[in-house]
Formats: sequence, C-alpha cells, structure tokens
Amino acid sequence: MTTLAHIPQLLVYGIISGSIISLGGIGVSLTYSILGFSNFAHGDFMALGAYIALGLFTLFTGLGITNAPFGPLSFGFGFVLAFILAIALTAIAVILIDRLLFRRLRRSGPVILMMSSIGVALGLRNILQFFWSPQPHYYSQAIQPAVSLGVLNIRIKPDELFIIALAVVLVIVVHAFMRYTKMGKAMRAMADNATLAQVTGINTDRVIIWTWVIGAGLAATAGILAGIENKFITPELGWQMLLSIFAGVVLGGIGNPYGAILGGMVIGISEEVSTAFISTGYKPAVAFVIMIIMLLVKPTGLLGRKD
Amino acid sequence: MSLLTVEKVTSGYGDMEVLHEVSIAVDSQEIVTIIGPNGAGKSTLMKTIFGLLKPKSGRISFSDHEISALSADRIVRLGMAYVPQVENVFPSLTVRENLEMGAFIRSDDFSGRIREMYDLFPILGRRGRQQVGKMSGGERQMVAMARALMLNPQLILLDEPSAALAPNLAEVIFERIEAINDTGVAILIVEQNARQSLSLSDRGYVLASGRNRFTDTGENLLANEEIGQLYLGG
Amino acid sequence: MEHLVGILNYIVFFAITAGTYSILSLGLNIQWGNTGLFNIGIAGFYALGAYTSALLCGLPPSAWEGRTFGGFQLPFIVGLLGAAIVSGVVAMLVGAPTLRLRTDYLAIATIGIAETIRLILTNESWLTNGVWGFQQIPSPLYKTIHAATSAYLKGHPNLPVWLHDLISKSYDWFYLVLVLVVLFILYLIMERLVRSPWGRVIRAIREDEDATSMLGKNTFSFKMQALVLGAMIMGIGGSMYAHYARFISPVSFKPLYGTFIVWVMLILGGSGNNKGAILGGFTVWGIWAGTDFLTKYLPFTSTQSASLRVILIAVLLEVILLWRQQGLLPPKKHLFSQK
Repeated sequence: MTTLAHIPQLLVYGIISGSIISLGGIGVSLTYSILGFSNFAHGDFMALGAYIALGLFTLFTGLGITNAPFGPLSFGFGFVLAFILAIALTAIAVILIDRLLFRRLRRSGPVILMMSSIGVALGLRNILQFFWSPQPHYYSQAIQPAVSLGVLNIRIKPDELFIIALAVVLVIVVHAFMRYTKMGKAMRAMADNATLAQVTGINTDRVIIWTWVIGAGLAATAGILAGIENKFITPELGWQMLLSIFAGVVLGGIGNPYGAILGGMVIGISEEVSTAFISTGYKPAVAFVIMIIMLLVKPTGLLGRKD
Repeated sequence: MSLLTVEKVTSGYGDMEVLHEVSIAVDSQEIVTIIGPNGAGKSTLMKTIFGLLKPKSGRISFSDHEISALSADRIVRLGMAYVPQVENVFPSLTVRENLEMGAFIRSDDFSGRIREMYDLFPILGRRGRQQVGKMSGGERQMVAMARALMLNPQLILLDEPSAALAPNLAEVIFERIEAINDTGVAILIVEQNARQSLSLSDRGYVLASGRNRFTDTGENLLANEEIGQLYLGG
Repeated sequence: MEHLVGILNYIVFFAITAGTYSILSLGLNIQWGNTGLFNIGIAGFYALGAYTSALLCGLPPSAWEGRTFGGFQLPFIVGLLGAAIVSGVVAMLVGAPTLRLRTDYLAIATIGIAETIRLILTNESWLTNGVWGFQQIPSPLYKTIHAATSAYLKGHPNLPVWLHDLISKSYDWFYLVLVLVVLFILYLIMERLVRSPWGRVIRAIREDEDATSMLGKNTFSFKMQALVLGAMIMGIGGSMYAHYARFISPVSFKPLYGTFIVWVMLILGGSGNNKGAILGGFTVWGIWAGTDFLTKYLPFTSTQSASLRVILIAVLLEVILLWRQQGLLPPKKHLFSQK
C-alpha cells in the first residue's frame, strides 16, 4: 500500500526526468532524420553544455556578477546568463566538430558517421574528465525545500517546476520553428528526402548547421537541467542518460521529433514509477526493455511512419 | 548556341560506365524528348546533366556556363530545374510548403508565383494545405512540376513524368507540359512509352545501351518504322 | 640481465592481454568486418563470458561473500564452452527484434544489452557478488605448473637471479601459449568460414543486403548466425580473461575497455580481414600500453593521464576514419564488391 501511495509522487519525478530526456531526444531525432545517422555523442554534448555552464558560472561568480535567487528558485541572473551562453557555445562547439569530422565523413555513409560519433563521445567525455576530474561538481550546494502541491501528498521543488515549464516552452518554440519558418520547413523537407532538397536548391549545408544549433542547444539545455535536478554534474552525465534518450526516440518512432518528445516522457515516467517495484539501479534497463518490446510490437514506434 | 549542350559525355556509377560519349542539345523554348529502352541510360543522363553524377569525360554547358563540375544546388541557381522520376515531392510537407521549398533561394515575395502555379494546376490550389504524402500519383506529379517551376527556370528536366500514371492522367500531364512550354520554358523529357511525348516534341533523341542512336524531329521519329518497332512498341 | 627479464616478463603479460583482445577483435570481424553488423555492446558479451566461466569453474561462495549460488568448480574447458553458449544465446535475443531493421537499431540494442548486463552484474549480488566481483577464479593447470616450478626452483637453489625470475613466471608462459593456441584455432575456423559459401553470402549481405535477399537468401538467418558466432567468440575472450585475471568485477567491463578499444583494433587492422583483426589487436594494445609509459612522464594526475590516453585513442579512430578507412590490411577483393 505504501508503494501505491508513492506513485503520484513518482509520476511527478517521471515528468521531470521525462522533460529532460525529451529535450535530449529531439536532437537525436533531428540528427537521425536530417543527417541520417544515430549520434552516440549526443549525451556527451549534454555533458559539454553542463560543464561550459559550470565554467562560465564560476567565472561570473568570480567577477562578482550577482546570482541573487529569482523568487523561490535556487539561482539568479549569473546562472541564467551562464546557462544562455553555454547553449550558444555548445552549439558552436558542435558545429566545429561537424566541420572537422562529420561533414568530411558524410559521403562515407551513416555507419561511418555513427562510428565517428562514438569516437567524439569518448573524446569529449575524457576532455571534460581531464579538466574537471571524474568527481561530481555542484552548481549550488544549497538545499531547496520541496513545497506541497496539496494533492495526493505530491511535493515538488520550485526548480523542478522551472524545469518542466522550460521544457514545455522549448517544445512549443521548436514546434513553431519547424512548422512556420522557412528554415524549419527546409529541415522537414531535408528529413523527407535529402537529395531532392539539394535538387530543389535548398542550401543543405545551412540546414545542417541549423539542425546542430537546435540539437546541440537543446542538448546543452537538457544537460544543465539535469545538473539542476540532480544537484551535481559528472562527465558521465550524458552518457548515463543516452540509453534512456535512445529508448525514447525509438519508442516514439526514430526520426520523428514529436515521437521523441512523447517517447521521452513515457520512458521518464516508466523509469521513475518502476522504482516502486524494482531496484533504482535498474532504471536504464527499464528503458531498454520498453524499447525492445516496442521493436517487437511495432518497430516504427508510436508515431513513426514507414521507412 | 543552344540553351543546353551535352557534348560526348561519358558517365556512370562508380567504375561502371552507363553513358558513352552521349551528345544532345536543347534550344530555348524547345521540347525535346529522349526515348530508349529500359537501361539505356536515360535517367543517368538526367542525373549527370543536373550535377548528381560527375561526368568522367565530356562537357555540359547551360546558357553560356560550363556546368560539368557544378553541384545540383548551383545548377538550380542558373535557371535549370529537375523533376526526378520517383520520390520527387516532400511527402510530409503540404502542397504549399512544397512550392515554398521550390522557391527556397528566392528572398523576394513569391506569392504571385504560387498563384500562377495554382492557375496552372487548379487542383493544387484547392488542396494547398493538404499533406502531399496523402495525395494520388498524378497529383504528386503536378506538385513536383510546380515545385520545379517556382524559380522561373529556362529549362526543366522531366524524368518519365507519365510513368505509373493511368492513361487519362498521363494525358492531363502532357497537356500541362505543353502549357508550361507555352510560357517559354524549354523542356527535356525522358520517356519510355514515348508516342505521346514525341508528338508534342520539337525534336527527339533515341538512346540505346548508353549511346546516341538516332536524332530527328519528333514527327519524323514517330514516322520512322524501324524506331516504331524497336523503341515504341510497334 | 635482471632488467631484460623484467621486460620479457612484461612482454608476456602484454601478449596475453593483446591476444585476449585479438580474440574479441576476431569476433567483431565476423559481425562487422564480414557481415556489416554494428555491435557496440562487445563489453556485454565479454562480461557475460567472463562471469559464466567464473560461475561454472569458480569456488563455491564463501561465508563473507554476498553470492549464494554457483561456483561448481568444473573444468576450464566447460567454462570456456559455457561462456560461448551463454553469450551466443543472449546475442540471439538481441538480434531477434533488431536484425530485420536498419543497422542503427542493432547498435542501440547492443549498447542497451551491455548496459543491462552491467546493471545485473552490479545489482544481483546473489549471483555475482555485486560490485565486489568474483575472486580466486581458478586458472587451468595452475596447481600442477606451480607445484612443478616450485619443486624445480627448490631443487636448484643456486640459479642466477635472472633465470630464477624467468622460471618463476612459468605459468604466465603457459597461459600465453594457451591464449595463442585458442586465438590460432579461432583464426583457422574463421578463415575456413569466410572462404566457404556461407562466408560469401555474409559478405554479399555486407555489400548489398537487398540484392542478396533478392537472390533468394534468407538474410535475417545469415545475419543472426554471424551475430551469434561473433558473440560466442567474444564470450570465449571473456572466459580467457577471467581465468588469467582471476578476479573480475563490473568495473572491468565498462564500455571503453570492452567495446571501444576493440572497434579501434578492428578498424585499424582492417575490417573484413582476420589477420588484420589480430594485427590491430596487438598494435592498438601496444599503443595503449605505450601511452601508459609516456603519460607517466607528463605532469598530470593519474586520472588525467588516463583521460589523455582515451582522447588519444579517440583521435586515432577519427584519423583512421578520415584518411584510411580500409585499415592496415584491407579485405581481399571479392566478387560482390561491385554495387
């Protein structure tokens, strides 16, 4: 009975972690559909963003830029500034990686790109480890009390409400971008058929850059949000979420960003609710099992179209 | 000087040569048809002209530019457009979005051009907000042609526009092709079942095993008995 | 002289490890090099082999261990075969839902199974002793060789120090021979297989799966066979590791060591070439070990040095991908190379 009573609270945790997984999943999905490969470095892009934010935040604190908390949140102006700049810098770093490696390997096909992304993943992770050590780092050591929502004994921290709200806003912004802007439409066109996009005169190189801007920007956001939620970051932060992200992407239908959002949410909730019944250590395995079941039942995923 | 000149072009995939020293020319405002059996290299020729395959030797020039070494996105900017035989639309986009993509490189207001396309293909005007993936083969072919026309090209390459269409639909498509030509656009068509196409063509080429076989006016090719038997199904 | 013996003993140790990795690389070669299957869960199959062998051949649980099961003290060869079978069966379970789909799905599923195996090894203490791992896994013929060596050394107390040092390491020499024999047998089997009609079919699948299935071949079944066979070889590699290291724990099978480095070995050596797989195994392990010496002279902490070495291997991979995708020994030209 006690387990069942916990479930509403676990659902809330699931929505929080699902928000982060979904933001990561959008990027994986866009890279898959537009650039045509599964990017195993995406988790490490998240960690990169989280560490760039840490570095900037430390710098700003040193410079005396105020970080007086916004209302009930645990952070203020200094952190938000670091957050925004980290998104931009992560996007730039990822575009540089694309120019240096992925662009030159595009002609070699998706499998070589996938392999290259594994090299990028390990390289990035160890660069972070080199500079910051494998030990956890903290954005803030302050303990934030959770507030009661007054229903079903659910308690949630203001920071967590911020995570959910930001994820919702970003999903809406990405949706509007894909639906209504010229570049967003070109991204969908290129996902449909890259050769035809080129034949049509779409500047496919610019589309690719925008794909990385959105994918890497959301990855950095997800990484930083994971840091806010967990209270600490490690260089393995993204890698540890990668399996859940891929499971969400496959569950929703690989290559469909809306599927990635839905799938990420389902995976996040399932992982958290599973802890009422099995060991917390098995969260990633829960994601894996759900993914395998989906592949057996309907490989194209919940929202997938035929390949 | 022709609008498009292909001179002794040899091309293919990897080590495999499909075209051997093929030459063709298209003049401004002309309709030219290339016919030939399956595997004659017609689609390869189209892809080579449009920069999707690099010629191993030979020259291709278009409106005074050497284009043999240019990629497709550069060739589009010179005023040529290409409608592939299959997968020639963006299925998850709406009709209107497909046309907008056709005008991707235009930074001016092209809503007037979209209206012209809707006039040319009225059915598209009525279905501007429909997802193209849910439309019929004939409608998709119209979307593909309209998309290719968005940049007001001087020349449009059509790869088997009537393939896989019911005869009455093919008729509609050819009638639209003539209408497009009337607006001053030169057209290069590749066709397998080519009677209809030749009858509206100024000139035609017969391609077999990757080589030029015959060249003549559309009428003469249609009248030629040998060609009729060999390439037009008797 | 003592110095030389020290180096020689190190080389033996090096060759045992490099030989074990070459076994993994051979296994990956049948999956990726010949069939085009993207398995990035090598660490999982490797761990499965090691743990299976430890469970079958190891000692029964002692009072202070968390595990309550296993330790049947069976002969080494049973452990080796058991390792192959268990890894093969798990590969079949992973292949069933993914081998009909684009290769990305296999990649994601293999990474998932490797992670899941690692979680099970960490969490199921009754079976695996959790994070503490298995200890005192018996090495084959260890008692016999050890006893003979001790007797000999006792009987000849006046040997020069260097000879004494050399002889006292006799078990390592034995194990090196064992690893090389296993590697050589597997190599011969793989060579026979890839030259057989079966080998031609799997290479044809790699070149062009659609064309191969149009020739009437059941490509799913062939891919499954290659996946399972490769995983069995990886399981054997795990078993060889466990019986030499004598101690295994979940940390030994983090994705880096088990998976990434094997990929770099195969790609550097030459995907599709069995000799290349072995050459790559020894070369990359040489680079890896060499950088261990190098980074000691740099002013970094040991964790920084470790990171630097991984970065170096990652750079090596990207360099090969950019400039020499065929590796050191490219596969021999064969009939199906025309697309």
